Amino acid sequence: MADLDLVDFAVDYARQKGATYAEARFEHQTNEDFILKNSVLDALYFGEDAGIGVRVLANGGLGFGATNSMTKGDVKALVEDTVKIAKAAHRKDPISFAPEKPVVTNWSVPQVKKLSDVPVEEKIEEITHIDRELKDLKFKIPARYFQQSNKQIDKYFVNSEGSKIRSFSPRVRLFYFLTVAHNGNVEQTYQNYGWSGGWEALNELQMRRRVIDEAKSMENSLEHGKKSPEGKMDLVAGPQVSGIAAHESCGHPTEADRVLGREAAQAGKSFITPASIGQRVGSPVVNVCDDPTMEHGIAFYAYDDEGVKARRRYLYKDGIINEFLQNRETAAILGTRSNGSARATTYNVEAIVRMANTFVEPKDWGLEEMISGVKFGVYMKSFMEWNIDDKRFNGKYVGREAYLIENGEVTTPVRKTVIELTTPTFWGAVDAVGKDLEIFHAGFCGKSDPGQALDAALGGASMRLRNVYLR
Amino acid sequence: MEDYAERIVDKAIALGCQDAVADVAVNRSYQIRFAQNQIVISNRWRETTASVFIVYKKRVVASDIKDMTRIEAQVENLVKIAKVSQENPDYAGIAKGPFKYDRPSVDKKIVDLMDGSDHVQAAVNAAIEEGAKECAGSFWKYDEEHFLRTSNGARGVDRRASLYLSIRALMSLESSGHGVACATKASQFDPEKAGHKAGKIAALAKNPVGGEAGKFDIVFDPLIFGSLIDQVGGRAGAWTVMAGLSPYAKKLGKKVASDAVTIIDDGSADSIGRKRFDAEGVPTKKHAIVNKGILKTYLHNTSTAKKFKTRTTGNAGLISPDAHALFCKPGTWTRDEIFEECKDGLWLTNTWYTRYQSYVTGDFSTIPRDGIFRIKNGEVVGTWKDIRLTDNLINVWKSVEGLSKNVDQVQWWGEVYVPTFAPYALARDIGITRSAE
Repeated sequence: MADLDLVDFAVDYARQKGATYAEARFEHQTNEDFILKNSVLDALYFGEDAGIGVRVLANGGLGFGATNSMTKGDVKALVEDTVKIAKAAHRKDPISFAPEKPVVTNWSVPQVKKLSDVPVEEKIEEITHIDRELKDLKFKIPARYFQQSNKQIDKYFVNSEGSKIRSFSPRVRLFYFLTVAHNGNVEQTYQNYGWSGGWEALNELQMRRRVIDEAKSMENSLEHGKKSPEGKMDLVAGPQVSGIAAHESCGHPTEADRVLGREAAQAGKSFITPASIGQRVGSPVVNVCDDPTMEHGIAFYAYDDEGVKARRRYLYKDGIINEFLQNRETAAILGTRSNGSARATTYNVEAIVRMANTFVEPKDWGLEEMISGVKFGVYMKSFMEWNIDDKRFNGKYVGREAYLIENGEVTTPVRKTVIELTTPTFWGAVDAVGKDLEIFHAGFCGKSDPGQALDAALGGASMRLRNVYLR
Repeated sequence: MEDYAERIVDKAIALGCQDAVADVAVNRSYQIRFAQNQIVISNRWRETTASVFIVYKKRVVASDIKDMTRIEAQVENLVKIAKVSQENPDYAGIAKGPFKYDRPSVDKKIVDLMDGSDHVQAAVNAAIEEGAKECAGSFWKYDEEHFLRTSNGARGVDRRASLYLSIRALMSLESSGHGVACATKASQFDPEKAGHKAGKIAALAKNPVGGEAGKFDIVFDPLIFGSLIDQVGGRAGAWTVMAGLSPYAKKLGKKVASDAVTIIDDGSADSIGRKRFDAEGVPTKKHAIVNKGILKTYLHNTSTAKKFKTRTTGNAGLISPDAHALFCKPGTWTRDEIFEECKDGLWLTNTWYTRYQSYVTGDFSTIPRDGIFRIKNGEVVGTWKDIRLTDNLINVWKSVEGLSKNVDQVQWWGEVYVPTFAPYALARDIGITRSAE
């Protein structure tokens, strides 16, 4: 870590220059990416990203500046500039932050096997081993692309209200993209798993088994898959499908900055308005949570990037719109308190309202029990194509691994099942939620300008939806 | 800064590397974000980053060095990592210099600009004049200097400065329009025009009704057409093709679009994406990716070029080749003629969230946003919402019938990553889907 006194200095100096509030966030991130394409280690990326971001409120305007030059002169110049651009905003209604008590603390994520202790060779061997096992399968996998990434984030946050928080967060990811070919047809998959912690992640997540199982299911789908049926029927959605729906059609529309229009020109707005709290959006069995404190979820944190303590947020509770994700700015506008949702990808961008680990809260149904209650329908375990409109009302998820359900039993694989439904239709059709919580599907959630692709976990329990239109 | 690049390359070679590249970028960019017709934050960056690429016995390591006080130690660490990494048999070296580059020149008025709030105000006022109630967006002054050195003799300096504004104007949640302004000369920067465009579309898009599924002739506005051009540029990278992320594998010399379509990548031409050299120091130049509907080339660095038995196109990135700036060759139609030829269809103005079910086949969908208009006999007869374009990338491009004479330079968050010159376009029988009841 660099000279951390400069971080305290930046805050004090910003106050001297006229900021009514100031915060500074120093980050040092170590990033490793192992890129294996068709059995060739194309490249190893190793980067150390370090610098300071300063955010100030001055004359009711908000300014942010960042530099990676950690000298007193450069930090001083940056602070002067940042206060100046904040003052130049000339807003009619000044920006303010909801109150918070100062926090002085340290937190860190434990690692069973420290990332820094694992030799580069061992990390390379992990993905090359999976690739070899894939090649040993007796079917064609003409394109195999893996990216194994390890990140270690040291942070020091200081604000002018007396908060001083140090943290250490190690994260592990495995992204892979496979193409399986069979008789002139192809099936493709894109999977992304993440973990907060050390190198134990690969074993804990059983990555070798998962990749091989995925490839086998692709071959099975190509060899035996039928066209997916069209019409109204029941759907059993696996945790990965629940997770993407939770993220896209619950997490995003309940981001308070989106509700208030701050993201309108980029990630969009929301079909939800401040007056929507208390309105029904799903069936009474639906609880969707966002919880940064989920152990090992890739977006784990104890305090957010505004120094606010993290906690579980019930976004949809019993099918009702219950709570927004808030930072201190949106909370002030909406007359409430931050619930610790402010995050930034790196030191050089402002912290904004973000999801963390978002999931459908499990209940007590077994998967087989849910399937046994379906006369005719589809069990969709995973998806490939997906998208949703910018007000988060019209979502589409196209099946990657899916099966027909006939008379309560899973029968043949079906290909490219399309769910194209509105948010209330989707959540309103849920009649059962499983107990099989998974939160290790990791996304890069995109938002803000400059774009911040941030670690987010998308998870959930399986769900059963009654009488929805599929094709 | 030149000294930093030199020191990185020299150190890597001294430690036994065969190839080394360092591109030191000094970023002095400035941004204003606005929402609800007001500035919400102003951002300023003062950063220096060295993008580094070293190769030890065909073992490739890439990095970004941010701490210039520890250059030598960091290069030593990278070489240490390279030594225990694995050989890349596909690695074929970096381009042989030295190269000659044009002298960099940027508009001093852009470099000297310290406050962009007047540009924001001009755009917002224009949109409000058209009837918009709420405007959001961002203004950027991009200002970067690059100092490049390679162990193969390339030595380049580049200055890249431009202005950019993106504005979304809203009458309501479902009635909106988007406009962008891009310029490398301050005198050509027209945020007001972008505001008028966004405001006009928003005003025209009032009271939309739910759209219908089916096949429709589509008039693509330059912003959404830019998104489709961006897909072509993105999928034409040789590395992308090899990874299975493209429908263009084994299609060189084959028809991938209609005769009307020529798409060129040209980092050397005037655009906000102009750069004098790629990541290996190769001077950027003009390449037709698609010429009159035929796929002519993938985008290459030295290694992918060798794999495909051709020459680098000067599109090297740190690891994979990428487009610099895309130009769709203008057509012969006027904008009015494009609309007149649309007898029963839609006019789409913007899109987002383009995703593929299969990159190999090109099956994808994307979600039109902002104004979606029903067109009959060339006239707007209604406004739609809640539809999705669901089709196949190659099919969409083969369905393009006409392009306008005039093109706009566009770039936009999330969809048009690469600066793109896009015309109005007319395409026939494009698939539209919508959420089921």
